[in-house]
Amino acid sequence: MSFEKKIMTRRSALQQSACGFGGLALARLCADSVHAANPLASKKPHVLPRAKRIIFLFMQGGPSHVDTYDYKPLLYKNDGKKMPFDDARTIANTGKRGTSERVMKPMWKYKRYGESGRHTSELFRETAAHSDDLTFIHSMHTEGVAHGPATLFLHCGSTNFIRPSLGSWLTYGLGTENDNLPGFISLGPIPSSGGARNYGSAFLPAANQGTAIGKAGKLDANATIRNLGNADLSIPEQRRQLEFLQRLNAEQLGNVKGNTELEALISSYELAWRMQNNAPSVLDLSQETQDTMAMYGIGQKETDNFGRQCLMARRLCENGVRFVQLTSGAGGGASNWDQHSKLPQHEGQAKAVDKPIAGLLQDLKQRGLLEDTIVWFSGEFGRAPYAQNNGTGRDHNAEGFTTWLAGDCLKSGFAYGATDEFGHKAVKDKVHMHDLHATLLYLLGLDHEKLTYRYAGRDFRLTDVHGSVVKDILA
Amino acid sequence: MMKLVYAFITIWITCCTSASWIFAQSNPKIEFFESKIRPVLVQHCYECHAADSKMLRGGLLVDSRQGLLEGGESGPAVVPGEPEESLLISALRHDAFEMPPKQKLSQVVIDDFEKWIRDGAEDPRRSTTEVAKPHLIDIEAGRKHWAYQPLRTPEIPRVKNAVWPNSDIDRFVLAGLESARLQPSPDAEKIVLLRRIYFDLIGLPPTPEEINQFINDESPLAYENLVEQLMASPRFGERWGRHWLDVSRFAESMSLRGKLLKHAWRYRDYVIEAFNTDQPFDQFLTQQLAGDLLEASSVESQRENLIATTFLVMGDALLENQNKRQLDMDVVDEQLDVIGKGLLAQTITCARCHDHKFDPIPTSDYYAMAGILKNVQGLKHSNVSTTREIPLPFTEEVKRELENYDLAVTRLQSEVNSLKPKITGNGLPPVAAKDLQGIIVDNPDAKVSGRWSKSSGVTNHVGTEYLYSGTKGSKALYPVTFPDDGRYLVRISIAQHANRAPKALVIVVHDAGSQSFRIDQRKAPGSFNKERSDGYFQSLGIFEFSAGLHDAVEISVKDGGGAVVADAVQFLPVDNDDKVLDGLVPQVVEKLTPAEQQELKKKLAKLTADLSALQKRKPVPEMVNSVLEKSKSTDLKIHIRGRIDSLGDIAPRGVLQVANYGAAPEMPTNSSGRLELAHWIVDPANPLTSRVMVNRVWHWLFGAGLVRTVDNFGTTGELPSHPELLDHLAIQFVEHGWSVKSLIRKIVLSRTYRLSSARGDQQVDPENRLLAHMNHRRLDAEAIRDTMLSVGGALELQMRGATFPASLTTDVGFRFQAPRRSVYVPVFRCSLPELFEVFDFANPSMVTGRRDVSTVAPQALFMMNHPFVSAQARLTAERLLSESQMTTTNRIEQAYLEILGRGATATEINLSQEFLTSISDETENSQVDAWTQIIQSMFSTIEFRYIR
Repeated sequence: MSFEKKIMTRRSALQQSACGFGGLALARLCADSVHAANPLASKKPHVLPRAKRIIFLFMQGGPSHVDTYDYKPLLYKNDGKKMPFDDARTIANTGKRGTSERVMKPMWKYKRYGESGRHTSELFRETAAHSDDLTFIHSMHTEGVAHGPATLFLHCGSTNFIRPSLGSWLTYGLGTENDNLPGFISLGPIPSSGGARNYGSAFLPAANQGTAIGKAGKLDANATIRNLGNADLSIPEQRRQLEFLQRLNAEQLGNVKGNTELEALISSYELAWRMQNNAPSVLDLSQETQDTMAMYGIGQKETDNFGRQCLMARRLCENGVRFVQLTSGAGGGASNWDQHSKLPQHEGQAKAVDKPIAGLLQDLKQRGLLEDTIVWFSGEFGRAPYAQNNGTGRDHNAEGFTTWLAGDCLKSGFAYGATDEFGHKAVKDKVHMHDLHATLLYLLGLDHEKLTYRYAGRDFRLTDVHGSVVKDILA
Repeated sequence: MMKLVYAFITIWITCCTSASWIFAQSNPKIEFFESKIRPVLVQHCYECHAADSKMLRGGLLVDSRQGLLEGGESGPAVVPGEPEESLLISALRHDAFEMPPKQKLSQVVIDDFEKWIRDGAEDPRRSTTEVAKPHLIDIEAGRKHWAYQPLRTPEIPRVKNAVWPNSDIDRFVLAGLESARLQPSPDAEKIVLLRRIYFDLIGLPPTPEEINQFINDESPLAYENLVEQLMASPRFGERWGRHWLDVSRFAESMSLRGKLLKHAWRYRDYVIEAFNTDQPFDQFLTQQLAGDLLEASSVESQRENLIATTFLVMGDALLENQNKRQLDMDVVDEQLDVIGKGLLAQTITCARCHDHKFDPIPTSDYYAMAGILKNVQGLKHSNVSTTREIPLPFTEEVKRELENYDLAVTRLQSEVNSLKPKITGNGLPPVAAKDLQGIIVDNPDAKVSGRWSKSSGVTNHVGTEYLYSGTKGSKALYPVTFPDDGRYLVRISIAQHANRAPKALVIVVHDAGSQSFRIDQRKAPGSFNKERSDGYFQSLGIFEFSAGLHDAVEISVKDGGGAVVADAVQFLPVDNDDKVLDGLVPQVVEKLTPAEQQELKKKLAKLTADLSALQKRKPVPEMVNSVLEKSKSTDLKIHIRGRIDSLGDIAPRGVLQVANYGAAPEMPTNSSGRLELAHWIVDPANPLTSRVMVNRVWHWLFGAGLVRTVDNFGTTGELPSHPELLDHLAIQFVEHGWSVKSLIRKIVLSRTYRLSSARGDQQVDPENRLLAHMNHRRLDAEAIRDTMLSVGGALELQMRGATFPASLTTDVGFRFQAPRRSVYVPVFRCSLPELFEVFDFANPSMVTGRRDVSTVAPQALFMMNHPFVSAQARLTAERLLSESQMTTTNRIEQAYLEILGRGATATEINLSQEFLTSISDETENSQVDAWTQIIQSMFSTIEFRYIR
């Protein structure tokens, strides 16, 4: 019998790819017919890549930058004073500007760390030991007053439209380095604030969807990729079954040769088989030494969960996963960084991640992985320098906050940009989230203006029509 | 929202550019410009705002005086003499805009700019280029695009091979093939066609019996009859309704916190029903856009109309957005996106911030349509806004239920009421004045002062209620008219209770003077003259009164400590021996024995319980996710650059000009205009609607539309492969009363649809746009799941109804387990079933006319390892093995028939037999295990995943 391919024909696949990639990619796809059907085949970058992958430490809920990394002496001096501020929530709700708010000083002490002398509060004293490896951006600003819009903006570059996530754009643009693993993995993704949209591929081919492991900030000891194992069959039994299946397939395929779509379907079983046999060992943390585990805080109650996320991230990166996201925060309830009324709870949040992050940085460094890996620490926004409702917490603040990056491709021990003297709004060398997205794409070899996908008659970008690469932070 | 820092708004002003602006260099103002202003402009602004900028931002040029005065899209940048009116200053201060975007310039520089503008903004620079004008959309020119052209009845083409066509569809297709010197493929084998038509029409495979019946049906109309039979099956609506649910981005929850759209399932059922009953498509669309505004002939159709409007509110809104005006506009935008792409295949929402870059859709068209939808409220706002739930009118059946309910409640209530006094209070019911002897003055006739309240809580009172008061000085005077002089026994009723006054003051004013009494109203009335008390009245004594009007009794509150009751006063005439006249026999309280009391209490408890149980069953209105028209309908102003706080001219409500022929629809002031919008959309003169639906149906049957970009008929979409065929079908569709079933019937009966999917050796037309053969299509997620359930024998064909518990509050973590058809699996944005996710189910947040088709490892992992697949395989294996009369070969053949819709080849039988013997022995367990593996492998084959 004979099969003819349809719908996403090779040609239409090529046309779609061609929107984003030039003739080179086209030629490569044409030359390699097996890859032509694999939407995750590795692809040529636009510019020379300075890094190969990103580990994103998502601090869900919005850590207070003025209590962690953005040192503002004026907050101590004016502590308790009522002063006028443009509060974003008040403006959104009522349009009123310059409302009177009570300045609140940081709750934790700051110190300078490392040769670079960067300020960090005692919340992150362990991470601070790596200050000389970090690149701080103090002038971040983004969009969305509430978690939902801001979290979507952080991940997808849009507060409300259905858009692909950064990790999806990366795998779409670069393909995967390891066919045996997904190219984009999100550890413990939150169910709220856009939920799966934050690792979704939207209109990009579905293969670029992020793969979730664990949920709501949690990575249980046995968390794994779905359907990696068979409950009923041993490995040899399953191999035998697979061989039987492929014989049936070959019989169905008959004498028709060169139908890449059907061949791709057949080979997807081989690919799945390889993934099934390789991924579990990558995800299995028990192969690590006790010392390594201890370095990440695994086994200690407070740090165990995030420590495992960090260690798994390192293992995934070593195995060529392009984008790994970690999550600190459950997405709702008290267990995240969203301290509207009880800022002291930042202490527990920080404690859970500080040692694991320090361990991750140390481990990446000693393994030489910082050479081509970027670690990115960020919340969806920061917090206000004044007390919310005159209480003991801080409201969201999208107009100024701090993010840090680590990686050999960046200026280390370096601080870029600044907020105003209260830490409220970014004022100097401002970096919009679009700019940061453009920069991250650039570091991985993609030009954010060329990385496009045609949907509904229009070429879409992660950065819409905005964004510019922050070249001043590049090493 | 978009970052709009660079945007300056369009208000074009006329401005003076004559030579009179030339000044001598010695002018100190010019010198000031040259030294303080020009260098700053060059250094900080020219990169984005000069004629030679790589990318001009916001349409603003600052490299000439004219540029500054005319300004960009936000209006003039400089108003000479008026720094406060000048946007340039506001931008430098980082107020309205933030310029330069990276870093604010120093205050000294900003002061310089203010001074320069205050002094008249002298500027010797002449413009070198025209300021960029917005390109104006030429609607008439835009109409030349094929999709905006009116439908034209095409001539049926003549074909050389006149015997081949079955229908006009075939003539159009064959004409195309002949002109490309191509031959149509042979017809599909009967067995291939059978599996194709089953999946296409009902989304399920034929059973072996159905296969045999059709293969053996020698009638020339066997296929036609089968088509009729399948289209009449309720499974048809489940299949085709689901297609529409893709387009209408049907979902039952929001991605924000998994909040539920609790009643969206009614919309799903409505859609399925509409396809099953072949509801005219124009009516179907009208209901969805404006059902709540339609006249309805019955409650049932009124309900249906309301349910249809759920269409408007399923968008995945960011309920958390704190700026509610922005949120409202985002909701409108999403609705326009669905109406645009889904109904008209137009990317209207591209025109939200600027005129459409490719299609003839000006921003004013966007706001003309947005204005209609802005008159409708989809959300209720609070910190986290909520979707709107509206009660559905009761059906006639429920109305009858409600009447019965009211009757039952009334009956029970009155039983309870009559029983209660017997066992509560004093065991005495209220008595009416007319049932008492003598002269009665009840509290309504008393003259009261101070503060008294009414009550009937204690039952042994007269009339409907009594008064009570704890306020010192409150008084009740009882006026009474005596017919003759005489002696009377004076009594008062006191409705005694533990919280009453121990010493209520009662004064009797009689002919001989007055007498005060202190009555303990906590205690039951005492006896008088050795007569037993009647349980109501306390006797005060016998007094003489002369004929006429007297304020004979006063009851008042003298001191605190308990409420004084003022109820009725009774005057009973007595004879000279002080015997009560009129044969008064004081009522004797019928005391219940404790056993009787117990009995009555039980009865009361049961009645009360019955009543409250009944009340719980009160029919409550069913709800629907719908919209509410605002009380006032208005037009919307154009939002410049899409910004809610940057308003331009009013865009009178209207429709897409380029697709409108004849007069624009008149928009009413007393309603939103949705009905008018709907009427325009389904007007036969609308060039888009019928073409779009016909093309969708073609896509769903062929895997590719005549226009393959099914959601985009704009200039960036593809051209139709057979424009005349498209128009032919669209015109017939409208002429046949927008009957979707007729349209489908026409297509599936064509010879083109019935062709083999074998391509042959042909090298021309690799994408098969000319339809020389049927396309080879992928089985979608629902068909994969339903087929496995059906083969396993578990599939339940129950239709309709909510498929998640009413108590559910979030979709997060929800698992749907019931083996019902996939169309009934709740479409939860945060927890779609894995099978849907891996097999390219439509993204429920977007209009999906054409699903992705991917081949990825997670699909293979699912088929190999997911317990759902092995469970269905095991069920199938057990069933086959239970047929004891079957041989192994029979079973293999049966499995091929059931799973792949065809018999097995000899090689295939051998392969399975070999596999079977290699892994199993004779024991029952090992047989089941082995067969399970065989069936699961068949589910996993490439042929299972395709429709040939």
